Amino acid sequence: MGIFHHFMNLKAVYIHWGWFQISITNLLVILFMLVLFGLALVLPFPGNKKGKDQK
Amino acid sequence: MSDRRTELESAPWSGRVRRYDLIKEGVAAVVIVAIVVAALSTLFGSPDDKQVTFKQWAVAAPADFYATAVQELAGTSGTAGYGAPYNHASDGVNLGPLYLAKWLGVTHPVDTVNDFVITPLTTVANAAPVADALKQWQGSDAKTQSTWATNYDTALTKANQDASKVSAGNYGPVPALAGGLLTMAQAGSLDGALLSQGNYFQSDNTKQTLFLGDGSYFNDQSTASNLQGSTWGMMNETGRYPGQAWLWLYSFWYQIPPFNNGDNHPFGANADAWIMLIMGALSIGLICMPLIPGVRSLPYKIKIHRLIWKNYYQEENL
Repeated sequence: MGIFHHFMNLKAVYIHWGWFQISITNLLVILFMLVLFGLALVLPFPGNKKGKDQK
Repeated sequence: MSDRRTELESAPWSGRVRRYDLIKEGVAAVVIVAIVVAALSTLFGSPDDKQVTFKQWAVAAPADFYATAVQELAGTSGTAGYGAPYNHASDGVNLGPLYLAKWLGVTHPVDTVNDFVITPLTTVANAAPVADALKQWQGSDAKTQSTWATNYDTALTKANQDASKVSAGNYGPVPALAGGLLTMAQAGSLDGALLSQGNYFQSDNTKQTLFLGDGSYFNDQSTASNLQGSTWGMMNETGRYPGQAWLWLYSFWYQIPPFNNGDNHPFGANADAWIMLIMGALSIGLICMPLIPGVRSLPYKIKIHRLIWKNYYQEENL
Protein backbone atom coordinates (compact mmCIF):
# COMPACT_ATOMS: atom_id res chain seq x y z
CA MET A 1 0.00 0.00 0.00
CA GLY A 2 1.32 3.46 0.81
CA ILE A 3 -0.04 6.86 1.76
CA PHE A 4 -0.33 8.01 -1.88
CA HIS A 5 -1.16 4.53 -3.21
CA HIS A 6 -4.52 5.56 -4.68
CA PHE A 7 -3.05 8.59 -6.44
CA MET A 8 -0.16 6.56 -7.85
CA ASN A 9 -2.51 3.99 -9.39
CA LEU A 10 -4.54 6.58 -11.32
CA LYS A 11 -4.03 6.85 -15.08
CA ALA A 12 -0.65 8.38 -15.87
CA VAL A 13 -0.19 11.68 -17.68
CA TYR A 14 2.08 11.61 -20.74
CA ILE A 15 3.84 14.35 -22.66
CA HIS A 16 4.01 14.02 -26.46
CA TRP A 17 6.47 15.71 -28.84
CA GLY A 18 5.87 14.13 -32.22
CA TRP A 19 7.12 10.57 -31.96
CA PHE A 20 8.58 11.18 -28.50
CA GLN A 21 6.48 10.35 -25.49
CA ILE A 22 7.31 10.25 -21.79
CA SER A 23 5.30 10.01 -18.59
CA ILE A 24 5.45 12.94 -16.18
CA THR A 25 6.79 10.58 -13.49
CA ASN A 26 9.63 9.30 -15.66
CA LEU A 27 10.47 12.88 -16.65
CA LEU A 28 10.58 13.94 -12.99
CA VAL A 29 12.84 11.01 -12.10
CA ILE A 30 15.23 11.82 -14.97
CA LEU A 31 15.30 15.53 -14.03
CA PHE A 32 15.95 14.55 -10.40
CA MET A 33 18.87 12.37 -11.47
CA LEU A 34 20.32 15.23 -13.54
CA VAL A 35 19.98 17.65 -10.61
CA LEU A 36 21.63 15.09 -8.32
CA PHE A 37 24.48 14.71 -10.82
CA GLY A 38 24.88 18.49 -11.00
CA LEU A 39 24.95 18.76 -7.21
CA ALA A 40 27.51 15.98 -6.98
CA LEU A 41 29.74 17.99 -9.32
CA VAL A 42 29.50 21.33 -7.55
CA LEU A 43 29.07 20.45 -3.87
CA PRO A 44 32.27 19.84 -1.90
CA PHE A 45 33.04 16.40 -0.53
CA PRO A 46 32.04 16.08 3.13
CA GLY A 47 35.06 16.63 5.34
CA ASN A 48 37.12 17.88 2.41
CA LYS A 49 38.80 20.67 4.33
CA LYS A 50 42.23 22.08 3.93
CA GLY A 51 44.77 20.50 6.16
CA LYS A 52 43.34 17.00 5.97
CA ASP A 53 45.61 15.97 3.16
CA GLN A 54 48.91 14.52 4.17
CA LYS A 55 52.23 14.51 2.52
CA MET B 1 55.93 0.72 -23.85
CA SER B 2 58.65 3.34 -23.49
CA ASP B 3 61.16 3.14 -20.65
CA ARG B 4 60.07 6.56 -19.41
CA ARG B 5 56.42 5.43 -19.17
CA THR B 6 57.39 2.22 -17.40
CA GLU B 7 59.47 4.23 -14.99
CA LEU B 8 56.64 6.66 -14.24
CA GLU B 9 54.07 3.89 -13.77
CA SER B 10 56.24 1.90 -11.38
CA ALA B 11 57.40 4.90 -9.33
CA PRO B 12 55.80 5.36 -5.88
CA TRP B 13 53.22 8.16 -5.55
CA SER B 14 54.93 11.30 -4.27
CA GLY B 15 51.89 13.62 -4.14
CA ARG B 16 49.43 14.19 -1.36
CA VAL B 17 47.51 11.29 0.19
CA ARG B 18 44.24 11.25 2.07
CA ARG B 19 42.74 8.86 4.61
CA TYR B 20 39.78 7.05 3.16
CA ASP B 21 37.47 4.67 5.07
CA LEU B 22 35.81 2.40 2.50
CA ILE B 23 33.84 0.41 5.13
CA LYS B 24 32.46 3.62 6.63
CA GLU B 25 31.37 4.88 3.22
CA GLY B 26 29.76 1.51 2.34
CA VAL B 27 27.82 1.37 5.61
CA ALA B 28 26.68 4.99 5.20
CA ALA B 29 25.49 4.25 1.64
CA VAL B 30 23.53 1.15 2.71
CA VAL B 31 21.90 2.99 5.63
CA ILE B 32 20.93 6.01 3.51
CA VAL B 33 19.50 3.84 0.71
CA ALA B 34 17.55 1.74 3.26
CA ILE B 35 16.01 4.88 4.78
CA VAL B 36 15.10 6.28 1.35
CA VAL B 37 13.56 2.93 0.25
CA ALA B 38 11.53 2.66 3.47
CA ALA B 39 10.32 6.25 3.13
CA LEU B 40 9.35 5.90 -0.55
CA SER B 41 7.60 2.58 0.11
CA THR B 42 5.62 4.14 2.95
CA LEU B 43 4.63 7.08 0.77
CA PHE B 44 3.97 5.46 -2.60
CA GLY B 45 3.67 1.67 -2.18
CA SER B 46 4.09 -0.31 -5.40
CA PRO B 47 2.13 -0.94 -8.62
CA ASP B 48 -0.57 -3.52 -8.05
CA ASP B 49 -2.56 -3.89 -11.25
CA LYS B 50 -4.56 -7.09 -10.98
CA GLN B 51 -3.51 -9.78 -13.44
CA VAL B 52 -5.68 -10.29 -16.52
CA THR B 53 -7.50 -13.63 -16.36
CA PHE B 54 -9.30 -15.69 -19.01
CA LYS B 55 -12.49 -15.27 -17.00
CA GLN B 56 -12.11 -11.50 -17.13
CA TRP B 57 -11.45 -11.64 -20.89
CA ALA B 58 -14.32 -14.07 -21.67
CA VAL B 59 -16.82 -12.04 -19.63
CA ALA B 60 -15.72 -8.58 -20.84
CA ALA B 61 -15.14 -9.46 -24.52
CA PRO B 62 -16.83 -12.81 -25.31
CA ALA B 63 -16.81 -12.27 -29.09
CA ASP B 64 -13.05 -11.62 -29.09
CA PHE B 65 -12.42 -14.69 -26.93
CA TYR B 66 -14.63 -16.88 -29.12
CA ALA B 67 -12.93 -15.68 -32.33
CA THR B 68 -9.49 -16.25 -30.81
CA ALA B 69 -10.45 -19.81 -29.80
CA VAL B 70 -11.51 -20.46 -33.42
CA GLN B 71 -8.19 -19.03 -34.67
CA GLU B 72 -6.30 -21.38 -32.33
CA LEU B 73 -8.19 -24.32 -33.86
CA ALA B 74 -7.65 -23.06 -37.41
CA GLY B 75 -3.96 -22.31 -36.88
CA THR B 76 -4.34 -18.65 -37.88
CA SER B 77 -3.54 -17.07 -34.51
CA GLY B 78 -0.30 -15.23 -33.81
CA THR B 79 1.04 -18.11 -31.73
CA ALA B 80 0.06 -20.78 -34.28
CA GLY B 81 2.05 -19.00 -36.99
CA TYR B 82 4.93 -17.74 -34.82
CA GLY B 83 7.58 -20.37 -35.56
CA ALA B 84 10.44 -21.18 -33.18
CA PRO B 85 10.62 -21.62 -30.24
CA TYR B 86 6.95 -22.69 -30.21
CA ASN B 87 6.37 -24.48 -33.53
CA HIS B 88 7.63 -24.94 -37.10
CA ALA B 89 4.94 -22.76 -38.73
CA SER B 90 7.40 -20.10 -39.95
CA ASP B 91 11.09 -19.22 -40.02
CA GLY B 92 10.74 -16.92 -37.01
CA VAL B 93 12.91 -13.93 -36.17
CA ASN B 94 15.89 -13.43 -38.49
CA LEU B 95 18.74 -11.02 -39.20
CA GLY B 96 18.71 -11.08 -42.98
CA PRO B 97 19.96 -14.55 -43.93
CA LEU B 98 20.64 -15.46 -40.29
CA TYR B 99 17.59 -17.34 -39.02
CA LEU B 100 18.45 -17.18 -35.32
CA ALA B 101 15.17 -18.52 -33.90
CA LYS B 102 15.05 -21.37 -36.42
CA TRP B 103 18.62 -22.41 -35.60
CA LEU B 104 17.83 -22.56 -31.89
CA GLY B 105 14.85 -24.80 -32.71
CA VAL B 106 11.50 -25.50 -31.10
CA THR B 107 12.50 -25.55 -27.44
CA HIS B 108 9.06 -24.81 -25.96
CA PRO B 109 6.54 -26.62 -28.18
CA VAL B 110 3.02 -25.19 -28.19
CA ASP B 111 0.23 -26.90 -30.11
CA THR B 112 -2.51 -24.28 -30.11
CA VAL B 113 -5.26 -26.75 -31.08
CA ASN B 114 -4.67 -29.21 -28.27
CA ASP B 115 -2.91 -27.07 -25.65
CA PHE B 116 -5.33 -24.13 -25.82
CA VAL B 117 -8.67 -25.75 -26.74
CA ILE B 118 -9.03 -29.54 -26.83
CA THR B 119 -7.00 -30.55 -23.75
CA PRO B 120 -8.59 -27.91 -21.45
CA LEU B 121 -12.06 -29.00 -22.63
CA THR B 122 -11.29 -32.62 -21.72
CA THR B 123 -10.49 -31.63 -18.13
CA VAL B 124 -14.07 -30.62 -17.28
CA ALA B 125 -17.47 -32.30 -17.45
CA ASN B 126 -19.05 -30.78 -20.56
CA ALA B 127 -22.68 -30.42 -21.54
CA ALA B 128 -23.89 -32.86 -24.22
CA PRO B 129 -23.26 -30.63 -27.30
CA VAL B 130 -19.67 -29.93 -26.24
CA ALA B 131 -18.99 -33.54 -25.23
CA ASP B 132 -20.35 -34.72 -28.61
CA ALA B 133 -18.29 -32.08 -30.42
CA LEU B 134 -15.15 -33.30 -28.65
CA LYS B 135 -15.87 -36.90 -29.69
CA GLN B 136 -16.47 -35.81 -33.29
CA TRP B 137 -13.25 -33.77 -33.36
CA GLN B 138 -11.11 -36.49 -31.81
CA GLY B 139 -12.59 -39.11 -34.14
CA SER B 140 -11.66 -37.15 -37.28
CA ASP B 141 -8.42 -36.95 -39.24
CA ALA B 142 -6.22 -33.84 -39.23
CA LYS B 143 -7.23 -32.77 -42.75
CA THR B 144 -10.94 -32.76 -41.90
CA GLN B 145 -10.29 -30.92 -38.64
CA SER B 146 -8.30 -28.28 -40.50
CA THR B 147 -11.03 -27.86 -43.15
CA TRP B 148 -13.75 -27.36 -40.50
CA ALA B 149 -11.71 -24.88 -38.49
CA THR B 150 -10.46 -22.88 -41.50
CA ASN B 151 -13.99 -22.67 -42.97
CA TYR B 152 -15.43 -21.40 -39.70
CA ASP B 153 -12.56 -18.99 -39.06
CA THR B 154 -13.02 -17.46 -42.54
CA ALA B 155 -16.81 -17.23 -42.09
CA LEU B 156 -16.48 -15.68 -38.62
CA THR B 157 -14.01 -13.09 -39.89
CA LYS B 158 -16.44 -12.20 -42.70
CA ALA B 159 -19.21 -11.82 -40.10
CA ASN B 160 -17.00 -9.40 -38.18
CA GLN B 161 -16.64 -11.85 -35.25
CA ASP B 162 -20.42 -12.01 -34.74
CA ALA B 163 -21.19 -15.74 -34.47
CA SER B 164 -24.92 -15.13 -34.88
CA LYS B 165 -24.32 -13.72 -38.38
CA VAL B 166 -22.18 -16.59 -39.69
CA SER B 167 -23.83 -18.25 -42.68
CA ALA B 168 -24.36 -22.03 -42.71
CA GLY B 169 -21.38 -24.11 -43.81
CA ASN B 170 -19.19 -27.15 -43.27
CA TYR B 171 -17.86 -26.25 -39.83
CA GLY B 172 -18.13 -29.63 -38.08
CA PRO B 173 -17.88 -29.34 -34.27
CA VAL B 174 -15.83 -26.12 -34.31
CA PRO B 175 -18.64 -23.71 -33.20
CA ALA B 176 -19.55 -26.05 -30.32
CA LEU B 177 -15.90 -26.41 -29.23
CA ALA B 178 -15.32 -22.64 -29.26
CA GLY B 179 -18.61 -22.12 -27.41
CA GLY B 180 -17.63 -24.76 -24.84
CA LEU B 181 -14.28 -23.09 -24.25
CA LEU B 182 -16.00 -19.71 -23.87
CA THR B 183 -18.34 -21.17 -21.23
CA MET B 184 -15.39 -22.79 -19.46
CA ALA B 185 -13.44 -19.51 -19.44
CA GLN B 186 -16.45 -17.52 -18.20
CA ALA B 187 -16.81 -19.99 -15.33
CA GLY B 188 -13.16 -19.37 -14.39
CA SER B 189 -11.84 -22.89 -14.95
CA LEU B 190 -9.67 -22.25 -18.05
CA ASP B 191 -6.89 -20.44 -16.18
CA GLY B 192 -6.17 -23.45 -13.99
CA ALA B 193 -6.57 -25.94 -16.85
CA LEU B 194 -3.93 -24.14 -18.93
CA LEU B 195 -1.52 -23.86 -16.00
CA SER B 196 -1.83 -27.47 -14.88
CA GLN B 197 -0.53 -28.96 -18.15
CA GLY B 198 2.82 -30.62 -17.54
CA ASN B 199 4.59 -30.95 -14.20
CA TYR B 200 3.01 -31.23 -10.76
CA PHE B 201 4.43 -27.88 -9.69
CA GLN B 202 3.80 -25.28 -12.38
CA SER B 203 5.36 -21.87 -12.69
CA ASP B 204 5.43 -21.65 -16.48
CA ASN B 205 2.80 -19.17 -17.70
CA THR B 206 3.93 -19.21 -21.33
CA LYS B 207 0.77 -20.82 -22.68
CA GLN B 208 -1.60 -18.47 -20.87
CA THR B 209 0.40 -15.44 -21.98
CA LEU B 210 0.50 -16.59 -25.60
CA PHE B 211 -3.23 -17.36 -25.67
CA LEU B 212 -4.07 -14.01 -24.06
CA GLY B 213 -1.76 -12.26 -26.52
CA ASP B 214 -3.54 -13.80 -29.52
CA GLY B 215 -6.75 -11.90 -28.73
CA SER B 216 -7.44 -8.18 -28.85
CA TYR B 217 -8.50 -7.80 -25.21
CA PHE B 218 -5.04 -8.20 -23.66
CA ASN B 219 -3.54 -5.97 -26.34
CA ASP B 220 -6.14 -3.28 -25.64
CA GLN B 221 -5.29 -3.40 -21.91
CA SER B 222 -1.66 -2.84 -22.79
CA THR B 223 -2.51 0.09 -25.07
CA ALA B 224 -4.68 1.68 -22.38
CA SER B 225 -1.78 1.50 -19.92
CA ASN B 226 0.77 2.93 -22.41
CA LEU B 227 2.76 -0.28 -22.31
CA GLN B 228 2.98 -0.90 -26.08
CA GLY B 229 6.51 -1.08 -27.45
CA SER B 230 5.58 1.37 -30.20
CA THR B 231 4.78 4.07 -27.61
CA TRP B 232 7.91 3.74 -25.41
CA GLY B 233 6.06 1.12 -23.34
CA MET B 234 9.33 -0.54 -22.35
CA MET B 235 10.09 2.52 -20.20
CA ASN B 236 6.66 2.71 -18.57
CA GLU B 237 4.97 1.24 -15.53
CA THR B 238 1.29 0.86 -14.74
CA GLY B 239 -0.42 3.81 -13.08
CA ARG B 240 1.71 6.82 -12.24
CA TYR B 241 4.74 4.90 -11.04
CA PRO B 242 8.08 5.64 -12.68
CA GLY B 243 9.16 2.96 -15.11
CA GLN B 244 12.45 1.71 -16.50
CA ALA B 245 13.76 5.07 -17.72
CA TRP B 246 17.23 3.56 -18.22
CA LEU B 247 15.79 1.55 -21.15
CA TRP B 248 15.27 4.74 -23.15
CA LEU B 249 17.88 3.90 -25.77
CA TYR B 250 16.60 0.34 -26.22
CA SER B 251 13.05 1.69 -26.50
CA PHE B 252 14.09 4.54 -28.82
CA TRP B 253 14.86 2.28 -31.80
CA TYR B 254 11.30 0.91 -31.81
CA GLN B 255 9.94 4.44 -32.44
CA ILE B 256 11.82 5.18 -35.68
CA PRO B 257 11.96 3.73 -39.21
CA PRO B 258 12.71 1.11 -40.33
CA PHE B 259 11.97 -0.67 -37.05
CA ASN B 260 8.47 0.76 -36.62
CA ASN B 261 7.35 -0.16 -40.12
CA GLY B 262 5.11 -3.00 -39.02
CA ASP B 263 5.18 -6.75 -39.24
CA ASN B 264 5.19 -6.89 -43.05
CA HIS B 265 8.50 -5.06 -43.38
CA PRO B 266 11.71 -7.12 -43.02
CA PHE B 267 13.07 -4.76 -40.37
CA GLY B 268 9.75 -4.14 -38.62
CA ALA B 269 8.98 -7.86 -38.40
CA ASN B 270 12.43 -8.61 -37.00
CA ALA B 271 12.88 -5.41 -34.99
CA ASP B 272 13.65 -7.33 -31.78
CA ALA B 273 16.65 -9.07 -33.35
CA TRP B 274 17.98 -5.98 -35.16
CA ILE B 275 17.66 -3.77 -32.08
CA MET B 276 19.34 -6.41 -29.93
CA LEU B 277 22.20 -6.40 -32.45
CA ILE B 278 22.47 -2.59 -32.41
CA MET B 279 22.43 -2.45 -28.60
CA GLY B 280 24.98 -5.26 -28.42
CA ALA B 281 27.29 -3.34 -30.79
CA LEU B 282 26.83 -0.12 -28.79
CA SER B 283 27.50 -1.97 -25.52
CA ILE B 284 30.72 -3.43 -26.93
CA GLY B 285 31.61 0.10 -28.11
CA LEU B 286 31.07 1.40 -24.58
CA ILE B 287 33.28 -1.32 -23.11
CA CYS B 288 35.94 -0.59 -25.72
CA MET B 289 35.83 3.22 -25.28
CA PRO B 290 39.39 3.37 -23.91
CA LEU B 291 40.60 1.75 -27.13
CA ILE B 292 38.69 3.87 -29.67
CA PRO B 293 40.78 6.81 -31.00
CA GLY B 294 38.93 10.11 -30.65
CA VAL B 295 36.31 8.72 -28.28
CA ARG B 296 38.95 7.90 -25.68
CA SER B 297 40.10 11.54 -25.78
CA LEU B 298 36.66 12.95 -24.97
CA PRO B 299 37.32 13.27 -21.19
CA TYR B 300 40.26 15.57 -21.97
CA LYS B 301 37.97 17.79 -24.06
CA ILE B 302 34.91 17.69 -21.76
CA LYS B 303 37.03 18.17 -18.61
CA ILE B 304 34.34 17.08 -16.15
CA HIS B 305 37.09 15.51 -14.03
CA ARG B 306 38.52 19.00 -13.46
CA LEU B 307 35.15 20.07 -12.06
CA ILE B 308 34.98 17.04 -9.74
CA TRP B 309 38.55 17.56 -8.48
CA LYS B 310 38.41 21.37 -8.72
CA ASN B 311 40.03 21.88 -5.30
CA TYR B 312 43.07 19.89 -6.34
CA TYR B 313 43.41 21.72 -9.65
CA GLN B 314 43.00 25.11 -7.90
CA GLU B 315 45.50 24.35 -5.16
CA GLU B 316 48.04 22.95 -7.56
CA ASN B 317 47.47 25.77 -10.10
CA LEU B 318 46.95 23.20 -12.82
